Amino acid sequence: MAEEVKKRTTYRSRKELKPRLYIGDPMVAVFRTLVRTTINRPNTILYPWEKLIMPDCFRGRPGIRLEKCIECKKCVKICPNQCIQMVPIDHPTLGKVNRPQVYVARCMMCGYCAEVCPTNAMMVTPEFELAAYTRSDLMFDPFKLQYEHKPGYEVHSPMITPSELKAGKTESHDKGDMAIKDTVELDPKKCISCQRCAKTCPVGAITMADTGEVNPKTNKPVKRPVFDNNKCVSCEQCVEVCPKSCLSMKEAM
Amino acid sequence: MNIDLDFSTIYTFMFSLVSWLLWAVGRVLGFIGIDEGSFFYPIKQFLVDPQFVTFVSYLLVAVIYFVFVFLFAGLTVIWMERKLLGRFMDRRGTQVGVLGLFQNFADGIKTLLKEIIIPRDADQKVYTWAVVLIIATSAMLMGLVPWDDEFYAVNVPLALLLGLAVFSLAPFAILIGGWASNNKYTVIGGMRAAAQLIAYEVPMLLVVVSLVVMTGSLNFVEIVNWQNDNIILLVPLAIGALTFFVAGIAEVERVPFDLPEAEAELVEGWQTEYGGFRWGLIMLCDYIRAYIVCALFAILFLGGWLGPEPIPGAVWLLLKTFFLFFMMVWVRAAMVRIRTDQILKIGWRRLLPLAVINLVVVVLIKVYSVGGW
Repeated sequence: MAEEVKKRTTYRSRKELKPRLYIGDPMVAVFRTLVRTTINRPNTILYPWEKLIMPDCFRGRPGIRLEKCIECKKCVKICPNQCIQMVPIDHPTLGKVNRPQVYVARCMMCGYCAEVCPTNAMMVTPEFELAAYTRSDLMFDPFKLQYEHKPGYEVHSPMITPSELKAGKTESHDKGDMAIKDTVELDPKKCISCQRCAKTCPVGAITMADTGEVNPKTNKPVKRPVFDNNKCVSCEQCVEVCPKSCLSMKEAM
Repeated sequence: MNIDLDFSTIYTFMFSLVSWLLWAVGRVLGFIGIDEGSFFYPIKQFLVDPQFVTFVSYLLVAVIYFVFVFLFAGLTVIWMERKLLGRFMDRRGTQVGVLGLFQNFADGIKTLLKEIIIPRDADQKVYTWAVVLIIATSAMLMGLVPWDDEFYAVNVPLALLLGLAVFSLAPFAILIGGWASNNKYTVIGGMRAAAQLIAYEVPMLLVVVSLVVMTGSLNFVEIVNWQNDNIILLVPLAIGALTFFVAGIAEVERVPFDLPEAEAELVEGWQTEYGGFRWGLIMLCDYIRAYIVCALFAILFLGGWLGPEPIPGAVWLLLKTFFLFFMMVWVRAAMVRIRTDQILKIGWRRLLPLAVINLVVVVLIKVYSVGGW
């Protein structure tokens, strides 16, 4: 009888409910806890002295490698909390450049900036103890934000395209793979050969190539941009800079 | 007041110490010229008077007793509850200092440093004196409960009755304290507390009556001696012991009978308006009273300071008391709070019959086993 009652999750009659529910069960359960916590140790973690081991996928505050950044502003655009800004800095080796600054007080550690970064310059760090005495301490300028890179701090967003699935592939790719990289597409009718895209491209993936035609008005050869898809990091800088909107991103998916 | 005092060891020691000190003071006074014939001679005479020496030695004993009880009973009991509750709830208790022992002192200093606030519309005198009343009764009870047959503050013949009489002053203090705060919650809390305490006073007293029938005495020392000669009273009076324990938990307002305090329901019960050191003392008194109930149980049912020889009697009493307090903490960790009507129902309809049954059992034992009155 007692075993049967124990297995049941609800009590049926008042008789079996009262003393067990209010006195017996809690007393036994609590005493078991006491014995367990006395022999072993309580569940508590003594935080400042003991720390939990962070899981591999833990996303703390964002960090940056200043040398790899190409000022594409993708992180600024994607940040859901709008806490990233591009600020000019004076770097000893890079010179005067723009680099992102993060207001960590507003950051929600989603890791989107690291995920979207075409060059893996932005990454997530395992740092989460960010208490400060003033709010301005939490405004992380690029120098404060930079973090030594260790493998594993990039956000991996493995993905696989439908076409690959159709072809029978099951392995997923990481960011930067050609198969899933967005590529730039040119609408040659609109292009005016202004060369701005080639000048802007931070990785030098665009070269202006002769088409063989000659502009009848100026008698100069007409050039069209040619994209080196191996170099391209799909940062969309050229798309932004194009005055005639003849460039567009062609989505891989 | 004519109390029959036997000078047991601590009193003798203090008496000799004080008389030696005052004799030395008298010598010094004589040395500096205050001697027979001087204008200040009566002072010297007064100092070395045996009655004055006795008085001072009593005072010193009282101080020692107080410090002892506050350290070993109050603070240890609070520390025990915090640590044990932590372990019961799968967490750590206090952590300040070695084993969290200094947390109590830190809390004491904190409450001591707080501002004393009296509500504007409160009845100031009653508001103040209700706390004094509850603290004074607790301190008096501490003096009444002995630690050993040689270590006590007073040893009056009717100690048990006096103790329960002092104990039953608490509802009065709580009621007027709640009323004087001029707050609806405190009044309701005070009412509840008074109803509960009065309800549980009755079965407690009936159990004590059965004890008197059994041992023929109201003096703690004699009750323990009776248990030494015959049997530990828990064995024949198991029902009474259970009744006494449950009623005791209710008397000191602990979970599951902690409606008078009831943090979540009535803000803070009858002590809502009390703050600072007063509140700290009230909380301390709660624990002192819990200790006293445990000690009373140990003396009445578990043979008090009886135990194997090498360990002194006071330590045995402390051990038994702490074990009982552990049971109280266990109950507190496990049980849920009971409604007002359930509290009164348990008090009047469960514990009172149990106490009467206990009394009947005792009378039967007395008549048939021990052999008449």
